[in-house]
Amino acid sequence: MLLPPRLQQLLAALRCLPGIGPKSAQRMALHLLERDRDGAERLSAALLAALEGVGSCRRCRMFAESELCTVCASGARDHGMVCVVETPADVVAIEESAGWRGAYFVLLGRLSPLDGVGPEEIGIPLLEERLAGGGLRELVIATSVTVEGEATAAFLAALARRHSVPATRIAHGVPMGGELEFVDAGTLSHALSARVSMAGDR
Amino acid sequence: MTRAGSIALEPAYLLHARPWRETSQLCEVLSQRHGRLGLLAKGARGARSRWRGLLRPFQPLRLSWTGRGSLPVLTAAEPSAYLQLPAGEPLFAMFYLNELLMNFLSRGDPHPDLFAHYGGALASLAGGQPVEPALRSFELVLLEEAGYGLNLRHDVVSERPLEPGLSYRYLPERGPVATDRDAAGDKLVFSGAELLGIAAGDLGSGENLRAARRLLRSLLDHHLGGRPLKTRAVLSAMRGSGAA
Ligand SMILES: [Zn+2]
Repeated sequence: MLLPPRLQQLLAALRCLPGIGPKSAQRMALHLLERDRDGAERLSAALLAALEGVGSCRRCRMFAESELCTVCASGARDHGMVCVVETPADVVAIEESAGWRGAYFVLLGRLSPLDGVGPEEIGIPLLEERLAGGGLRELVIATSVTVEGEATAAFLAALARRHSVPATRIAHGVPMGGELEFVDAGTLSHALSARVSMAGDR
Repeated sequence: MTRAGSIALEPAYLLHARPWRETSQLCEVLSQRHGRLGLLAKGARGARSRWRGLLRPFQPLRLSWTGRGSLPVLTAAEPSAYLQLPAGEPLFAMFYLNELLMNFLSRGDPHPDLFAHYGGALASLAGGQPVEPALRSFELVLLEEAGYGLNLRHDVVSERPLEPGLSYRYLPERGPVATDRDAAGDKLVFSGAELLGIAAGDLGSGENLRAARRLLRSLLDHHLGGRPLKTRAVLSAMRGSGAA
């Protein structure tokens, strides 16, 4: 290979990013070194600062720069309502769109028995502390609608029941703007079995 | 018409899938006539995948694939029925069945009877039937199909038929031997009545069911050679948390 060893190491390192193959890694590395050395400097400083300064919230496991994340530390949020999600990206998605005023708990995964991901790995002991601590009025379960996500939801619901905290599951079914004929059988069947009354609309 | 090495619309279940590269999936599948096999589902995790929401564990599917080598490629998938999944313990029991299949079947050996039993076990778990008897009868068939069939008929030393009133120690890979030791404390000692009950598939009574659980657990562990079953750990964690 023509490129010097340190540049080759950079190419290899860039490939840890999702969606980055050898070609893109080469394009990025050459761009940074050839045309944007200031940008490269900023990137490397920011990366290091994030790695050193960002940990996880000790209450909800969301990314945080101090003991508590901004949501957990906020006096304006309803800490009696906790929405359980799989990833920090889910928190971001809900914050950006859904107008949720409660708090979160981030599992950083979901139960996947065949991959050896059990309750410990998804932070259940920490969540259980919170359930046991009292003051929770509702646990909103927003895990993904996959088989593992459903298994996780069932596990969480049973946990909440044990601590006498009401648990709810986010609704899923026909997407907004979706035409029935294009909806897959599983979704349609679930949507039918989880139908809601319209009596209140009269 | 099928090319050599292509299979069309074979009844199958997805046992487990893991991500492969950026958007694909490696599927571990149990098929009716080709047994367990690995299939590469190209682009299955992409946002616009035609298989989105379809390649799910436990759902009866029909799959087409091509290529024999180490990793055939999935070419078509359609649902052949829809199974409404249960919540809670029965769902974890279904994962347990899949883990057993992945541990006890080698790729490429056909097991059409086991395939049928698996479908039956899923249906009864999904239909709210009691979990334990469903698991035990599946384990019995699985061991049989994997080549570790149980001997529940006669004493392997005396070669006489089992007698309900006698006690037997079950020797893994051999079978029952009459013993005069009391069952208390020895997890591999059973009454003849219990062994005959298990052989007859009579798992309705509490005693037979407990005996079957004790026997099958020991035999599965024996054949797994110390490898732990992960789903069992999760299931017991769920029960321990009062979630069962
Ligand atoms: Zn937090």
